[in-house]
Amino acid sequence: MLRRLPYRVQIPLGLSLAVLITALLVTTIAARISARTARQETLATLDRAVVLLIAQARPMLAADDTWRVFSLLRDTAALIPGAESKHARGAVLDADGRVFAASDPGSLGTGLQILGASLHGRKISSAAEITERQQLDQDDGAIVLIDPIRSEDGQTIGFVFVEVEAPVFAPDWAALAKPALIGVLMAVMFLVPIGWWVGNRMTRPVARIVQIIERIGHADAASLHAEVPRTADPEFSRIGDAVHQLIGELQERQKAEERALSAERLAAVGRMTAAVAHEINNPLAGLLTATQTLRLHGDSGPIRQRTVELLERGLQQIRTTVAALLPQARVEDRPLEPGDLDDVVTLVQASASRQDAHLSTRTDIESALRVPSAVLRQVMLNMLLNAIKAAGGDGKVEALLKADGDRVQFCVANSGGAMTSERFMELLTAESGQDPRGFGLWVCHELANHYGGRFELDAMHSGGTRLVFCIPNRERREVQA
Amino acid sequence: MDRRNCLQLLAAAGNSVIGLPTFAAGERLRIGLTAVILADQVAFLSRWGRYLSERVGCEVSFVARDSYQSILNLLASGQIDVAWICGYPYVRYEASLSLFAVPLYQDRPEYQSYLIRPQGGAAAIQGWADLRGKVLAYSDPLSNSGWLVAQVQLARVRLRSRDLKRSFFAHGHRNVAEAVAARLADAGAIDGYVWETMRQQGMAAVAQTEVVWKSAFFGFPPLVTKQGAGNPYAAGLQAALLAMPQDETGRELLRALNLTGFTKGTPAIFDSILQQAKTVPGSGLVS
Repeated sequence: MLRRLPYRVQIPLGLSLAVLITALLVTTIAARISARTARQETLATLDRAVVLLIAQARPMLAADDTWRVFSLLRDTAALIPGAESKHARGAVLDADGRVFAASDPGSLGTGLQILGASLHGRKISSAAEITERQQLDQDDGAIVLIDPIRSEDGQTIGFVFVEVEAPVFAPDWAALAKPALIGVLMAVMFLVPIGWWVGNRMTRPVARIVQIIERIGHADAASLHAEVPRTADPEFSRIGDAVHQLIGELQERQKAEERALSAERLAAVGRMTAAVAHEINNPLAGLLTATQTLRLHGDSGPIRQRTVELLERGLQQIRTTVAALLPQARVEDRPLEPGDLDDVVTLVQASASRQDAHLSTRTDIESALRVPSAVLRQVMLNMLLNAIKAAGGDGKVEALLKADGDRVQFCVANSGGAMTSERFMELLTAESGQDPRGFGLWVCHELANHYGGRFELDAMHSGGTRLVFCIPNRERREVQA
Repeated sequence: MDRRNCLQLLAAAGNSVIGLPTFAAGERLRIGLTAVILADQVAFLSRWGRYLSERVGCEVSFVARDSYQSILNLLASGQIDVAWICGYPYVRYEASLSLFAVPLYQDRPEYQSYLIRPQGGAAAIQGWADLRGKVLAYSDPLSNSGWLVAQVQLARVRLRSRDLKRSFFAHGHRNVAEAVAARLADAGAIDGYVWETMRQQGMAAVAQTEVVWKSAFFGFPPLVTKQGAGNPYAAGLQAALLAMPQDETGRELLRALNLTGFTKGTPAIFDSILQQAKTVPGSGLVS
């Protein structure tokens, strides 16, 4: 769950948790150490109590004063750990090892034989055998201390007997838990907020760097550079350097993209120029031939008339073509007429003659033509010139202009090599506009798309290549993109 | 501070004197107290001393000791003028002592000795004969109720000291009750007046003990003076003691003492003690 939280929350939260866990660990260890040392402290306290009892009881024992020894034991019982809770008891034994007086006579009755008798299943040494302090450790952790009381001349006149049960040595977890709980609460109250504050302070540079990274590409690079935090921490310095480098590289990339865009624009202008030149150049050969015809046979009235009209329509086509390529120039265009195909054939005849290509045309007009003449003339001119070139020497080119109520279709077949679909698609791409032949086909493809029609390779045709241009037979000049 | 601590305080103070109204130097009476009464109530003794001083005309103070012998020694050496001792030391040292006053307990100059055992110890000790192999607590070697009576009764059931597991002196009747309550001793010989007074005052030690046996009546522990001491204020003190029931303050003090008054008394009151002492070897009165 922690990993799902934001980094800026993870660090303070982690530090706070670390503080809390540390407090708990320290408390637990301290409690265990305290529990371990509790037994040593209890034994040390017992040692002091025994020394005191020996010193105080000696004259009373010598005076055979049971009551005063009892008073002493009763008044000093608080010095014996566990005596108040009846888990420990002390007694003074006489020289024979019998109880002279006990702090708890109910459990250690006056006159009870202790030394030499059995206590909790263990035999205790007799009075004669005990010459120095004995500590009897029971299996359950309880202990029995027996220390002789000697007169000034060294005679044993009695013994101090102290019995402490195991629960006295057991750690008082309730008492240990109280300071531990206070410690943990103090940690929660003071250290955890401090940990949270320190964590926030640590992650603040990271947060600023994240904000800067988010703004890269949207904000000014120079201001972003200035906002990257400077810190003495080597890790944050490396992150800052990386961000500086990232901003710089993105800056360079933006410049490169701008340069590429500019180059692309220049290339587009170049293609436009080439297209205009191509579309103007196509009819020029025929028009020049017409001027030659006019010069040689201009004396003949019908020939001159026909040649001048041809020149006029050819020039008009160039004008319309330019107007189509320049959106801001709008000129009125007339609908296509069957005679336009003858004009186009006349314009390409010179090229066909130079190639020794045999050009034949056919029309199949079933309905009135409503498509713009300039577009179809341009398409027919391009498709025929390409077919003548593709047909090669002594090749055949067959053209068909077909129209019905729905669409106008212009098909050109040549006897040249069969064009594959892949090659056809390559020719239609804008990048191949440098190929004069391909450029004309690309223009046909663009015009077909422009007028809601299609320009495609007839895959079913055999013995050469057959291209089909087809657009709806209606007056609307272009479809909305 | 409880009564025991007060007693210890008084004992530790040596010849400590309870503070009283100021009188001329040398004009004073000192009364020695023993365990025959609960003499560890400093405030009470102060009030009683002030009461007596006003009536006697000299400073009356109290000196407490936890053994009868100590008080007798003080009396013999003239360090105190009056001693409140037991009937047994009185009869034992009658030749050198003068009977000064005898307290009235329930309007009688008599009291009883009790044999007590721990509460709930009924099965173990029903009487003196059951003390064989038991631990017995006495009050003081010069106490009638706390030693002499016990010796007579033990002899009567043919028990000797060595037939007991152990016996010891607790230096006061009150301590006997506490020793039996704590089960330091299986039984104790105690002054019946002290035991009843402790019970009246609600002391815990008495609540944990019960009376097994009560003796016949004996002369109540008297106040005595040294034979021929002749303190000029002694007569005044005696009159003041005897007149205590006649005023409210005196009656209040007597109620605190669980007494009803004082009488001059006669040595004959203590004849029963004397006769008894004569039967006990080591009593100092065996002829």
